[in-house]
Amino acid sequence: MSGNEAAGEAAIRAGCRYYFGYPITPQNQFTEYMSWRMREAGGTFIQSESEIAAINMVFGASAAGARVMTSSSSPGISLKQEGISYLAGCELPAVIVNMNRAGPGLGDVTPSQSDYFQATRGGGHGDYRTITFGPSSIQELFDLTYLAFDLADKYRNPVLILADGILAQVMEAVKFKKTKKRLPKKPWALTGCKGRKPNFIKSLFLTPGVLETHNWKLAAKYQKIEEREVRYETYYSEDSKFFLVAYGSCARIAKGAVIEGRKEGMRLGLFRPISLWPFPYKALAKLAERGKKFLVVEMNLGQMFDDVKIAIGDKAKISFYGRPGGGIPTPKEILKEVKKR
Amino acid sequence: MANLKELSERKELLVGGHRLCPGCAAGIIARQVLLAAKEPVVVVTSTGCLEVATTIFPYSAWKVPWFHNAFENAASTISGIEAAYRSLKRKGKIDKEIRFIAFGGDGGTYDIGLQALSGAVERGHRFLYICYNNQAYMNTGIQRSSATPKGASTTTAPAGTVIPGKIQFRKDLTRIMVAHQIPYAATATAGKWNDLITKVEKALATDGPSFMDILSSCRLGWGHPPEQTLTIGRLAADTCFWPLYEVVAGEYHLTYKPKKKRPVTEWLKTQARFKHLFKPENKGLIDTIQNYVDEQWQKLLKLCGEE
Repeated sequence: MSGNEAAGEAAIRAGCRYYFGYPITPQNQFTEYMSWRMREAGGTFIQSESEIAAINMVFGASAAGARVMTSSSSPGISLKQEGISYLAGCELPAVIVNMNRAGPGLGDVTPSQSDYFQATRGGGHGDYRTITFGPSSIQELFDLTYLAFDLADKYRNPVLILADGILAQVMEAVKFKKTKKRLPKKPWALTGCKGRKPNFIKSLFLTPGVLETHNWKLAAKYQKIEEREVRYETYYSEDSKFFLVAYGSCARIAKGAVIEGRKEGMRLGLFRPISLWPFPYKALAKLAERGKKFLVVEMNLGQMFDDVKIAIGDKAKISFYGRPGGGIPTPKEILKEVKKR
Repeated sequence: MANLKELSERKELLVGGHRLCPGCAAGIIARQVLLAAKEPVVVVTSTGCLEVATTIFPYSAWKVPWFHNAFENAASTISGIEAAYRSLKRKGKIDKEIRFIAFGGDGGTYDIGLQALSGAVERGHRFLYICYNNQAYMNTGIQRSSATPKGASTTTAPAGTVIPGKIQFRKDLTRIMVAHQIPYAATATAGKWNDLITKVEKALATDGPSFMDILSSCRLGWGHPPEQTLTIGRLAADTCFWPLYEVVAGEYHLTYKPKKKRPVTEWLKTQARFKHLFKPENKGLIDTIQNYVDEQWQKLLKLCGEE
C-alpha cells in the first residue's frame, strides 16, 4: 500500500477513531482512505472546509479525550501552526502527518525535506516542541504512526510524522500491527464533571509568573522526552571513517550510496536519525570520536545540517550536500560528493 | 449587450495552449468573462485547476496582468490590489479606469476562502468575484465541497452500499452574498453565453463589489463526454437544478425561465457521479432531490415576483 494509506491504517490500528482532514497534494489519498476506512472501523471522518478547521477539530476532540489525528502537506501544515501551538500549550495529545512538498510559498507538489526547521523547532508561536519522526520506508511510516499515538498520550504532547511526497505515494508491502483494544485512561479530559471536580484545559495564563511556571513545566517534560525518546539507526558504523548523515527518503538514497561505495572499497557508513526531535545529538557525537568526515545529505538547503553541527562541533569535518525545491539526489550523485571531500 | 459579431472581434484575453482538460467549462467561462470586459482588467486567481493549468511557467494563457495566491486568499489579494489602485487614483498618479476580477473554484470560494470573500464584500471593494463552480475539489482529485450537490459521488463522499454519495444539500452561496447587501450578485452557466456575458457586463459596471456563481462542468469529476459540456450546462438551467437569476441591490430577477421545466433525472442521468442514484434502492433519493429542486425553484419564483 501507499504511505498515505499505510499511515491511515496505522492510526486506525493504534485506536485512533477521529480523523479530520482537508485535501492537498500529495496527501489526498490519506483523506480519501480515511473517508471510508474510518467509517468501517466505527470512527468519525470529517472533511473540513480548511486546514485551520481540521486542526481545531483535532483540538476539540483531543480535549475530550479522543485519539485523534490530521494529515496534510507543507502549505496546509503552515495553516495548522496556530492549532499545533494551542495543542502544545494546552498539553493535548494529537498526531499530525506532514507529507512534505517543496516550498516556499506555493512551491511544487514534488517531495522535499524543507519543513525540517518548522517541524523540529516548534513550528508555531511560543516556546514549545513537538516529537518529530522521520520515517524512511512505508513500513517505518506505519510503525512510527502506530507508536506516535502512545507517545502523544504518554507525554500529552503533539507528535509529528515528517514524511514527504515520495513516502506518501510509493507503494510497498506493509506488515500490520494488532488493533489496540486498551487505550490509556485520560483523567484530565473534558468529559463532563458530574461527580468530580471540573477539569481545566488552557494555555492562557495572565497572572504574573504563572505562564513562566507553565513554560518551565513544559521544559521539564521536553527534557524527559529528550532523555527517553531518541531513535536512530547506524549502518556500517564499525569500520567506517566517512559517514553520511541523512533521514527519511533521503536516507534510503544515502544507503544506496553506501552500498555502491563499499563495492568500490570505500569505508563508508550511514547515520540515520529517526527521531528528528529529540535529535540524537549524543549518539552522533560519539560516532564523531571515530569517524573523521561527515557529509549531511538532505532534500533542502541544509536544515538538519544545523543539528549535526551542534552534535559534532569541531570533533570531525562536516560538510553538506542538498537538493532543494523538489530535487532528489541519486546515489551516484552522493558518491561523487563523497569523493570530493 | 455585445452581440456575437462584436465579441468575435474583441481581443482574446485567455488564449489557447493552456492545459485544461478537453471539455472543461472553466476555460470557456474565463474566456467569456474576459471578453465581456470593456475596460482593462487585473485578474487574481486562487489555486485550482484554472490557475494550475493556465500558468505552467514560463507559459501563461493570460493576456492580462495576472496574480495568484493560495486557495483562501483571492478575495484578500484583490482587495489589496484594488485598494492600491484607488489610492493611486486619488493621488492623481493613475487616471485609467481598471476593473478587478478574481476567479476561484468552489473549494476556494464556498469553503476555505469564504471568510476572505465575506470581508472583501463587506468592506466594499470594487471588484468582480467569479466562482467557477464545478461542485467539488477537482484539482486535488474530486473531493466533496460544500457546493457538491446531495447524492453526488466524490472521492471523500463515495457512493457505497451504505451511503449513496454526499449526504448534505449544497450551500447557497449567492444568497449568502445577497445577505452582505452586495450591489450585484448573479448565477450563470457555461451553456448560456449571452446570459453570462450580460451579467459580467452589469457586474463590471457596478460601483462596488459583485459576485457571480457560474456552474462549470468538470468532465472528469462529473463523468460525461467532453463534447457535452455546454448541453449539460443548459440542461442544469432547464431542469431548474441551477436556476439563472440576478440580484440587483437586493431585488431578485429571473433571467431565464424554461418554457417547460424538465425533470431533474434528465440532468442527473448525464453524469457518472449520479449513476448510483438510478439503482432501484435509491429511488427515494431521486425524489428527495426533485422535491428539493422544486422547493428551491418555488422560493426563487416568489423572490422574483414571478408567481
